[in-house]
Amino acid sequence: MKFHERSWRAPGLLPIAALALLAPGVARAQALAPGMVCKPNYDYSVEVDGQFPKNATFYQGSDPGMYFVDVPACKNGLLMDMKARKVTAVPRDLVKAVDGGLQLASAVPPTSAAYALAVDQSVVKFEAEDKKVRILRCLDRPPIVGAVDVDTLVADRPEYREGMRAYAPNAASIASLDKYPKKVQIDAFFATWCPHCKEYMPKFLRAMSEVKNPNLKVNLYGVPKGFGTAPGPWQGRNVNYIPTIIVKVEGKEITRLASQPGAVPETELADILKAVN
Amino acid sequence: MEITADAREQGLARPSLSWMRVVGHIGRLALGLIFLASGVLKAVDPAEFAHQIAGYGIIGPQLARLTAPALIVFEIALGVALVAGVRPLLTATASILLLLAFIAIEAYGIAAGRTESCGCFGAYLKRTPGEVIVEDFLFIGLALLAILGLRGWAGARPGRAAVILVAALCLSTAFVIASPSLPIDDVVTRLRAGRTLADLDLAARLPQLAQGRHLVALIDVTDPRAAEIAAALDALASGSGAPPVIGLTPSSEQEIDAFRWTVVPAFEIKSVDRDVIKRLYRKLPRFFVLDSGRVVAVYDGAPPGARDLLSSESS
Repeated sequence: MKFHERSWRAPGLLPIAALALLAPGVARAQALAPGMVCKPNYDYSVEVDGQFPKNATFYQGSDPGMYFVDVPACKNGLLMDMKARKVTAVPRDLVKAVDGGLQLASAVPPTSAAYALAVDQSVVKFEAEDKKVRILRCLDRPPIVGAVDVDTLVADRPEYREGMRAYAPNAASIASLDKYPKKVQIDAFFATWCPHCKEYMPKFLRAMSEVKNPNLKVNLYGVPKGFGTAPGPWQGRNVNYIPTIIVKVEGKEITRLASQPGAVPETELADILKAVN
Repeated sequence: MEITADAREQGLARPSLSWMRVVGHIGRLALGLIFLASGVLKAVDPAEFAHQIAGYGIIGPQLARLTAPALIVFEIALGVALVAGVRPLLTATASILLLLAFIAIEAYGIAAGRTESCGCFGAYLKRTPGEVIVEDFLFIGLALLAILGLRGWAGARPGRAAVILVAALCLSTAFVIASPSLPIDDVVTRLRAGRTLADLDLAARLPQLAQGRHLVALIDVTDPRAAEIAAALDALASGSGAPPVIGLTPSSEQEIDAFRWTVVPAFEIKSVDRDVIKRLYRKLPRFFVLDSGRVVAVYDGAPPGARDLLSSESS
């Protein structure tokens, strides 16, 4: 499916088009065909004027190289075309929610504003509606460091929130953890910049959120890059890898959990605790 | 064969292969075979060994590229010398010095926070630095046994020893130079027709590949040819009946993004831990077709043609 007419790229118009793209809001957008479905992609974060607003979401289009950026503070949605290296303002009434994603309901008017975008290494940046927008890996955001509670974490990190939402813990393991009689303290050291943590921790946190046993207490600690030398609660705990989940029963460390592909943290924990019990 | 003084006095010439001497020979042979195996395994993929050396951060990548082949040749020559009994005390002492150097490097790696596998036995046999240090001390034990047990044993004659050493140096150098071009990928990597996703250690990482047909591209997104490869894969995937393409790379997420935003490939690219994906190739790019989670065809150097894909389907 083609979204853009290519006539504006005719050689004679190219300098004019380039100038127009550098002046936000001045350029005339190409007509965009309707129907493209966009799914949220939480691997990426949307930075707006140096902040990471809640609900600013990056969507991946069903067509290669097409992305949609929803910045709540912007009047329009923003359609990124990586092949054409530009962003087109999409009136919000042309975008409808479908099955966990978005769909362009009808053609974007050719008069819509368009903006130039630039790629700086792994970051895409552009300026739209007087806002400086950057699209970057969620792992590249400034990390959460130190003690953090789950609510704060999921409010700040959509990739954790959605990872938790998508995970279905093993019911038998949760039931087993619910009945565990001894005091268990779990210290979880993880990093918001760590891809393995991004896979593992949402599963672990979802499972722990399902456990209603007051005997189980979880402490979360965000770890900075270079944690081997940086001061913090991870020091003196022999934390060499992240994530490291230290499990103590009645004050005594009995095991450490770590991320493995296909890991089922609640089952692993339940089995270990059952063995200890 | 040695004749003891008592035996000579008694006129009874009999062998005096003491237990210590036997143990010394066992130590020498075992250590020689270990060095030989270690050198040959590294020689299979010298570029990876250079990468692993550079990973310690003691020397830069360029110097590592020179050091790696030299070290491989030295290890093979040392192994051959030990096995052939060339200057046994000298070679055993050289082995101890080399092993002490390896231990010092591993200890530095641990102190610097390095936790991944070492390159001691090439890319395809993985141990942690701690395991390596323990092993190296055991190997030093073998060398000490050789030194203690072989005192007074001259070993191979000088002329023969020289020939053995020169031959070992020439052959190992030739092997190190030629090995990247030798068609041995099916033997030395895990990737070959008939293997399953589990065999490739990808089953838990990429469960979506267990169903249907997929063309998997192992690519380095920082390679200047990557854009050309992506274009070829896009063209291939757009053909009717072509399997979906997925790219796997040892490159970082940031490198993938830089590639994604500039080249705009039509297929998904995923980063796979280097110690997992490295077992599937010696040189990139490499491509393979999966059918219901089983490898049905492997292609080296360039993406398959549409006709190749069809033939892999019929096979």
